[in-house]
Amino acid sequence: MNALLPSLPTIVALVKIGLLVGGLMTAAAYLVLVERWMAAWVQDRKGPNRVGIPLTKIRLFGLGQPLADGLKIILKEDFTPRHVDKVLYTAAPVVILAASLAIFAAIPFGSSLPAIPALGLTGEEPLLVAPGLDVGVLWVFALSSIAVYGVLLGGWASNNKYGFLGGLRSSAQLVAYEIPLGLGLLGVVLAAGSLKLDTIMDAQASTGVWYAFAQPLGFLVFLVASFAEAARLPFDLPEAEQELVGGYHTEYSGIKLLLFLVAEFLHMVTAAFLIVIMFLGGWHLWGVTGAGPVETWLVAFIRFAVLSAKILGVILFFMLVRWSWPRFRFDQLMNLAWKVMLPLGIANLVTVAAVEEFRPQLVAALGEGWAKTAAIAIPWGVFFVGWIAAGIFTPSGTDNTPIRTHGPLDAEHALGAKHALGGSKRELVEV
Amino acid sequence: MIASVLPTISPGTLLAGGVTATAASLWLLLPRGQSGAAERTSRWLGTLLGLAALACFVATGHRLGGLGEEAVFLIVSLVAVISGAATVVTRSPVYSAIWFAMALAGVAGVLLVLGAQFLGVATIVVYAGAILVMFLFVLMLAAPAGLAPYDRVSNEPLLSAVAGAVLLGILSLSIGRLTAEPPLCCRMPSKTAAIAGNAAADPVPAASEAGVDLLIENHVARLGGELFGRHLLAVEVAGVLLLVALIGSIAIVSRAASADGTVAPARRAVP
Repeated sequence: MNALLPSLPTIVALVKIGLLVGGLMTAAAYLVLVERWMAAWVQDRKGPNRVGIPLTKIRLFGLGQPLADGLKIILKEDFTPRHVDKVLYTAAPVVILAASLAIFAAIPFGSSLPAIPALGLTGEEPLLVAPGLDVGVLWVFALSSIAVYGVLLGGWASNNKYGFLGGLRSSAQLVAYEIPLGLGLLGVVLAAGSLKLDTIMDAQASTGVWYAFAQPLGFLVFLVASFAEAARLPFDLPEAEQELVGGYHTEYSGIKLLLFLVAEFLHMVTAAFLIVIMFLGGWHLWGVTGAGPVETWLVAFIRFAVLSAKILGVILFFMLVRWSWPRFRFDQLMNLAWKVMLPLGIANLVTVAAVEEFRPQLVAALGEGWAKTAAIAIPWGVFFVGWIAAGIFTPSGTDNTPIRTHGPLDAEHALGAKHALGGSKRELVEV
Repeated sequence: MIASVLPTISPGTLLAGGVTATAASLWLLLPRGQSGAAERTSRWLGTLLGLAALACFVATGHRLGGLGEEAVFLIVSLVAVISGAATVVTRSPVYSAIWFAMALAGVAGVLLVLGAQFLGVATIVVYAGAILVMFLFVLMLAAPAGLAPYDRVSNEPLLSAVAGAVLLGILSLSIGRLTAEPPLCCRMPSKTAAIAGNAAADPVPAASEAGVDLLIENHVARLGGELFGRHLLAVEVAGVLLLVALIGSIAIVSRAASADGTVAPARRAVP
């Protein structure tokens, strides 16, 4: 009978999962409110400020709005159109939400708690659901690629051309930007020497140099790629309202639509977590948090607060960018991924690898202090060179001349023109 | 009750029965282009026979460690096996791809239970995350208007079913002979030991030590040491092979386009 009772680690993991899911869902609801406030501020209007405590006249700056919105969308009719593929239509939102929640199994949401002997927890308790997982970064990467299925299947099962176009666009975009995302991750993994996100934070805390300063190019590439992976403006082509109605969730309503929207929001939250943990030092802040093990509850709380504040800051940046930038066209999107971000990511990876490989020689030649300076100065040099090269070799102006496509009719036309003009037309066509 | 009946049947009989049932069930389940009622009957029969075959294979297997481990292992491996069968017998190509993704998720789960974290996650990243998404992409674009005739009927259902079942039988026979003692998963370290061991573990293990015990912590670093130490040449050759394949595909595309000038700059990228 004793074997059937959950063991202490299981109970601890369950408690962490409960806290994390509850916190994430509440945060997602209130971040929607923040996003609407931000939109209102940018557009110089008041935004949602009416809904407060129900059945009273207390407004509370509109803090009741998420509850009202949630209640409304849950109570809406869950309408399933007759032309959809029912099984996949139902499965798609579940898949995408499950994947985007399961990502957080490997993402730490704080440093760790001090030992609690009263409950039998003798060691430090890391604020991470799966502390034994040795492949944290890869886990995040794997599950974010599973989330593509939700979008793709939702678009296909809807049996609607707008939905399908949105699904296709989205999968192409997500697959393309996974490569610069991976290159950005690899630089950090190489420097920290671990695939575990808590170890990566510890490495930044112990040296005091956040990877955003040590690898500026990697930070830039990762930031842009994570915007694209979260499908936020300027990369929100999968659901461009003006072109595709709603993109892959055009045919969805009620609770299923809510699942899609929450999953999308969680992608942004995940991106913010990763940016902060991998490049902005995680829970570390110079002179405030310290870098060693957690001894008191105060330190644990301060670290948690620093991490949360940084994440909130990155999310606010995401929201501000949404109202500052126009959407890319699809060819511009692909050009950016393959012709700008991929070479820059490779340049960053090579620089980081070279610096890490020759660090002992640097220390021997220059001494400890100057070697540290050089290890930061070299990536910054590469950053500026890469920036200038990207500016020179990829024209920033937009070319709006129509793309010459060659259907059957065009081929006949070109053939006729070729006969008329002799061989000279052919070269023109091949330009 | 089951335990009292099982010892009377020899493992060889069980395995032979399992292989036969698998072949018959696959043959019944594969689309052979019959009419409605006959197809429904053969589907039911095939599902029942498939379950019987599964039971036979489970009965020949070893006992695992604790109850929880065994339950988790059983669930993920059942997901893998059933999804694998469904991949083959499903009519719609898109559903086949989805079942294949489920099978990969099951296999990744099995690998995770056995302690091979890197392999499990890499399976999802490489297969389910990249290759299968491309499959789905092509399938959805290729067959937007229902199933093509060649998708509805399987070629050689009998031969393929028998070949698959026999392969399965030979594999499980050889695995059964190889492992006289209980399989690896019984020796899985408990979670608390894993956490404690992780904190104390050496950050950069030597490559030569790897291969002694794969279930130890920090196995990604060990795997890397092994791959880029003993098997460096194989890794480099595989990388060069992939690069050559990439360049080759680009060459084929550009040559096909320039052979006749009509389709040459079909997708000129706008800077």
